[in-house]
Amino acid sequence: MNGVPMAQALPVALADSAADRLAALFDAHYDRLYRLARRLAPSADAARDLVQETFLRAARAPHRIPSGARDEEAWLVRVLINIQRDEWRKSAVRARDTFTPTAAADPEAAFIARTTVWRALDALAPRRRAVVVMHELEDMRVDDIAALLGITSVTVRWHLSRGRRELARVIGVEDGGRHGQR
Amino acid sequence: MDNVKDLLRDADPLHREPPSSADRDRARAAVLAAAHASARTNRGTVGRRVALAAGVAALVGLAAAGSRVWSGATVHAAAVRFEARLAEKTPTLDLLPVHIAGSTETLYLHRDAIVTNDDVLGASVVPAQDPSQFNIGIRFTQTGAERMRAATASHIGRPMALMIDGEVVMAPTVRSIISTDALLTGNYTRAEADRIANGMLLK
Repeated sequence: MNGVPMAQALPVALADSAADRLAALFDAHYDRLYRLARRLAPSADAARDLVQETFLRAARAPHRIPSGARDEEAWLVRVLINIQRDEWRKSAVRARDTFTPTAAADPEAAFIARTTVWRALDALAPRRRAVVVMHELEDMRVDDIAALLGITSVTVRWHLSRGRRELARVIGVEDGGRHGQR
Repeated sequence: MDNVKDLLRDADPLHREPPSSADRDRARAAVLAAAHASARTNRGTVGRRVALAAGVAALVGLAAAGSRVWSGATVHAAAVRFEARLAEKTPTLDLLPVHIAGSTETLYLHRDAIVTNDDVLGASVVPAQDPSQFNIGIRFTQTGAERMRAATASHIGRPMALMIDGEVVMAPTVRSIISTDALLTGNYTRAEADRIANGMLLK
């Protein structure tokens, strides 16, 4: 094939410290970012792309990443949400073509049943969706979400309240979580 | 189950999708490869353009959408000959330039087909998340799968041209190594998806 294998195309020398830091960053935060991305993105494939792009941005701007696990995580999470926000805006105007491997196809009925509720999340803007996901599915406290996203707790509560209301309206159920904001 | 929290938890895709260490490893390799390319680019030494090209292999495909074009003259049911070729975004002498209508983009095709109709075992239209849109699931024969695997292994992040009747109908970005099964996501109308799937199946 005419494509140049990545391994051959790459220079051998990258400053070891930068490469090591990026590898360490990936190993420490990939799983957490993927779980968040999978709940923000429409498919596993899109989630993988989202996480990969997040780390690629880290690779391009290593000097901008703060040190310390919590600050690293916060930086990466915010980048991830920003990327998703850009994608969310773009997706309104064009479809995306991708070619990816897949396991056996989902039965149509199961696919529809599974996505009916989940699709309601697609109506939320990415940051609001992230707040809802973190609180409802990751069981994070409001204050912790605020710290992670760099916004105030009041803003987090606002997003939660609005997000739940929008979801409840789309799904057609009562919003049972409004008393549970910690 | 009557509130938003319970419904979301029940629908959470992470409950049904086991984490894939292969995907994780691929992402890790791509990220570190991009860092290498980026470091080389930043040094500004000879071969800056080459380094950029290497970086692009890992960078562009992750966010960029493929280009998709339909020629009004051929969008109708017809006996369709399908083939897939590797493509590039930058020209070299041995590549065939193809203008992508509806955009300023030009794609450069490799001359040999990787797979054709004969290598497609099955193609089916599957619903996308939006119920009015459809994607295409493809299963290749063993020979086709081996060719796709060999071709895409060194082509991740770069485009592949899918041609029907000699015309590039779409150029999706290869996201990872393709072998037996693949999902072509373009959020087509039912008619478009049927046409592509049927075109792939003709012998």
